[in-house]
Amino acid sequence: MEETKILIVDDDPDFTAVLKTVLEGESYVVDTAPGRAEAMEKIQADKPDLLLLDVMMATWSDGFEMARDIRKNPEYKGMPIIMLTGVEQRTGIGFKSTAGDPEWLPVDGFLDKPVEPQVLIAEVKKVLSGKP
Amino acid sequence: MEPVPEDIRLLNGAYWLTRLRWIAIICVPIGTYFCGSVLGIALREIPMYTVATLLFLYNVAVLVMLDRAARADREVSPRAVKRIIHLQICTDLILLTVLLHFSGGIENPLVFFFIFHMVIAGILLSPKESYLQATFAVLLFGLLVLLEHKQLLRHYCLTGFVPHCLQESMLYIFGTFLVFTTALYVAVYMANYIATRLKRAERAYKQANVMLEEKDRIKDEYVSRVTHDIKGHLATIQGCLAVAVDRMTGKLEDPEADLIHRAHTRSVKLTNFVRALLRLTQMRLSNKLEMADFSMGEALLNVTGAVQAKAADKSITLNCNIDSSVENVFGNQFSIEEMVTNLLLNAIKYTPANGTIDVRASSDENSVLVKISDTGIGIPKEEQAQVFDEFFRASNAKRAERDGTGLGLSIVKYIVERHGGQIQVESEEGHGTTFNLTLPRTA
Repeated sequence: MEETKILIVDDDPDFTAVLKTVLEGESYVVDTAPGRAEAMEKIQADKPDLLLLDVMMATWSDGFEMARDIRKNPEYKGMPIIMLTGVEQRTGIGFKSTAGDPEWLPVDGFLDKPVEPQVLIAEVKKVLSGKP
Repeated sequence: MEPVPEDIRLLNGAYWLTRLRWIAIICVPIGTYFCGSVLGIALREIPMYTVATLLFLYNVAVLVMLDRAARADREVSPRAVKRIIHLQICTDLILLTVLLHFSGGIENPLVFFFIFHMVIAGILLSPKESYLQATFAVLLFGLLVLLEHKQLLRHYCLTGFVPHCLQESMLYIFGTFLVFTTALYVAVYMANYIATRLKRAERAYKQANVMLEEKDRIKDEYVSRVTHDIKGHLATIQGCLAVAVDRMTGKLEDPEADLIHRAHTRSVKLTNFVRALLRLTQMRLSNKLEMADFSMGEALLNVTGAVQAKAADKSITLNCNIDSSVENVFGNQFSIEEMVTNLLLNAIKYTPANGTIDVRASSDENSVLVKISDTGIGIPKEEQAQVFDEFFRASNAKRAERDGTGLGLSIVKYIVERHGGQIQVESEEGHGTTFNLTLPRTA
């Protein structure tokens, strides 16, 4: 079976370590990037199968903007994205209760920080299986 | 109470004047009839009734003018209203002088009534304007007295009230006129003084209010920033512990595993608390909430579906009954779902096993009504008013469940109010709780 590559983009190295441990336990190949620039480099080089993107890095909207950039680029259009976000960031900025509103934020899933391991694995599996 | 803006204050003052004038319109004919026919005082009755009729007609005209000024492009112009007030006072002073002329001039104690207008001018107008009105009144009255004294104008003696015509006595005229003038200016001065002090106090109150609001906002920002930072670290701690707990399943008899398990449980509780606190302060801080039309029925089904498993864990029957009349609501669907979820999770938490929770939604012309009732422990009557207060937990709720943030219902109420809705609680201790929710269909 071909290995599934996941890229985690988050500026909190400890949190990234947690996600990495959980996902590696499920035999995924996990790479991490602490910021937008590094993430774009790794996306170009490795073409990951899934992106786990923190909503808030250098600025509160870094994650949002990055998700939109990726969707605009025809090369990565199909790459699934799961966004890590706090519930409080989801209102007031046009979020719909269900993920994947293409007009606003083209992501495939949301995870609320902190993430319980089972919830993370379930969401990753769900999004990967829904891949066209 | 919010301080009244200047334009509204003037408009209210102008209407107040018209209301006072109705009293004069009623009292002039009655007084004329009483003095003339009952007391037998020599009065020119026809001119008196004519003045009353004129007062009536002019009061109606003022009301029409005021209504027009208040309606014109919805913005009340303080200058237009002030002009109407000036017009009213001047006309009143002239009519009062005419009335005096036909009822004995300086002999008639009705001259005191000039003071009323001075007080009104002192309250509604600027000091300069009210002194001008006082001067106008002094001139009008002075002219009347002078003309009558010089017999350029006929003097109607108030026979039956005064022993003999007084307008011929120079001393009487001079004395009365002097007192009259002084009284008018002093009245204006006093009314101005009081009105200025009141306005100053009102302004100070307004400033204090703005300052308090600002302080409250700073506090919210502070809480928001602190809790946000705490939450970031907490998320990582909880994540680490969750992985450790996960890997140690089956080894819980180890004391180390037990300790880590406990730490994880507590971190989850702390996270829930911090999350609720952050949610509440951030909602208070953001003044915008994205609103759109969404199906209330669908939102309710989403939420009941999401908590169904939790209810089933306690063998609680969760019924959802949505009337076909329930249509779209204008609001933020995410917040509304969050709010109903909070109510349902509360219901599940405080309903003993094998209980029932009913969600009923119906609709009337303007609003959607949602009723969430459970067969739980209820809320004591005397504590019901406080359940929406931040950090408040009912005494029996604390006994039943040790953990709880006391913020869930505050968030619920906040979301409901942001949507222009209302929420009420009906409950009896030991006999379940019902939350009645009303949400307007349009904003």
